[in-house]
Amino acid sequence: MSDRITVEELSELMKKAAGVTVAPEELQQHYDTGFDVLGIDSLGLLGVVGELEKRYGTPLPPDAERCRTPRQFLDLVNGSAVAGA
Amino acid sequence: MSEPHPRRAAVTGIGVVAPNGTSTESFWKSTQEGVSVLDRITREGCTDMPLRVAGEVRRFDAPEAVEERILVQTDRFTHFALATADSALEDARLGRADTGEDPFSVGVVTAAGSGGGEFGQRELEQLWGKGSRYVGPYQSIAWFYAASTGQISIRRGFKGPCSVVAADEAGGLDALAHAARAVRRGTDVLVAGATEAPLAPYSMACQLGYDELSTEPDPNRAYRPFTGAACGFVPAEGGAVLVVEEETAARERGARVRAVLAGHAATFTGASRWKESRQGLARAIAAALQEAGCAPGEVDAVFADALGVPEADRAEALAIADALGAHGGKVPVTAPKTGIGRGYCAASVLDTAAAVLAMEHGLIPPTPNVFDVCHDLDLVTGRARPADLRTVLVLSRGLMGSNAALVLRRGADAS
Repeated sequence: MSDRITVEELSELMKKAAGVTVAPEELQQHYDTGFDVLGIDSLGLLGVVGELEKRYGTPLPPDAERCRTPRQFLDLVNGSAVAGA
Repeated sequence: MSEPHPRRAAVTGIGVVAPNGTSTESFWKSTQEGVSVLDRITREGCTDMPLRVAGEVRRFDAPEAVEERILVQTDRFTHFALATADSALEDARLGRADTGEDPFSVGVVTAAGSGGGEFGQRELEQLWGKGSRYVGPYQSIAWFYAASTGQISIRRGFKGPCSVVAADEAGGLDALAHAARAVRRGTDVLVAGATEAPLAPYSMACQLGYDELSTEPDPNRAYRPFTGAACGFVPAEGGAVLVVEEETAARERGARVRAVLAGHAATFTGASRWKESRQGLARAIAAALQEAGCAPGEVDAVFADALGVPEADRAEALAIADALGAHGGKVPVTAPKTGIGRGYCAASVLDTAAAVLAMEHGLIPPTPNVFDVCHDLDLVTGRARPADLRTVLVLSRGLMGSNAALVLRRGADAS
């Protein structure tokens, strides 16, 4: 995973895995809004994590599916060893 | 001073998605006209199996009925459940503002026989085709029998008693009875019913083991119970949800009491033991009448189980005679499900919806595709029969041995 996971990719996966449509620009404005408020439940976030792990062929940090906001999530997955690998 | 009224369970809303109509109005129109919509199965992956004819729901627009966020995490049987629950609540004029005031006063009970087979198959194909990482997390909830109850309650914010009946095809009637009991115990409103979506490749393969399944390829001949040509039953998808609430409270809020769930009983006589189902069904009828305080002669029409297996049909005809005595040979009997197929748990709830509509319209719908009846029954065939219907009996049996009977009283007479 050489590239950072972008807000565009997160937006795309939220739609694919959880059926929730939030445009990237809108998601950027809701960086600190809870996933639950955006309509993503815990299984939905687990689905996003699963999609990313399949896409990049490598596991995300164990707490990835526990992140409460887009900012927490992107900080965690992009700041982790995985992102620099 | 009169004694305090016992709490009675009234039907105030009906929601239907059936092979012959995706609204209550269109369902009733086709049902009372005796239209048969049984047809060759067209669903992808299902066309090369020994089961050729079914009642498919072809005009249901899932994305129109259910928001995308819920669509991705649910099976077709839950899409039907969410859509019919919405229609039933709208029919009962119970909006989000009404039920939101006291969410603990509204519960949900559904019955399901096959669960989310289509969704489950998709995910299992991922599991064995690509690996466990390719199974989506919603598989954990979507296939499950309880999914529809859960999704209805979550989507509408209902926090009253919620449950699922897993009791074979007769479970549809058992779910309605469960709702009536919950109302008698103090819950104001129950959203109750059953929907099924058993027409997907995996689900169909599961059914192929049933000896009772009709493999006749001609849609007009595939499902003809109570005749010498009976050769089994034809499956169907869809279902119905009713709003069941306490009668007095319903009248006080100005709701239309469409019927009263007056009595119910269930028995068990063993899988495919159709001869024995005679005694079980007769006992269920007698006990349901007793609970309703209803004499056998008061029954104005019977909606039969009508399995379409000669031995089972004979047992049902005899059970009606055993339970109703001489009246059993005179009371009009109908099985509108011969025009749409047997939707497992959903079949008896669709029959209940049809029975309520029949009482309201004073019209017994006919039994499509059935002509020469070879049992001592006054089966309504050909066209609908006008009748003053105050009390109707709905019967159901399951392939695994459950028998159930439900007594409905007309809403207009019930107060």
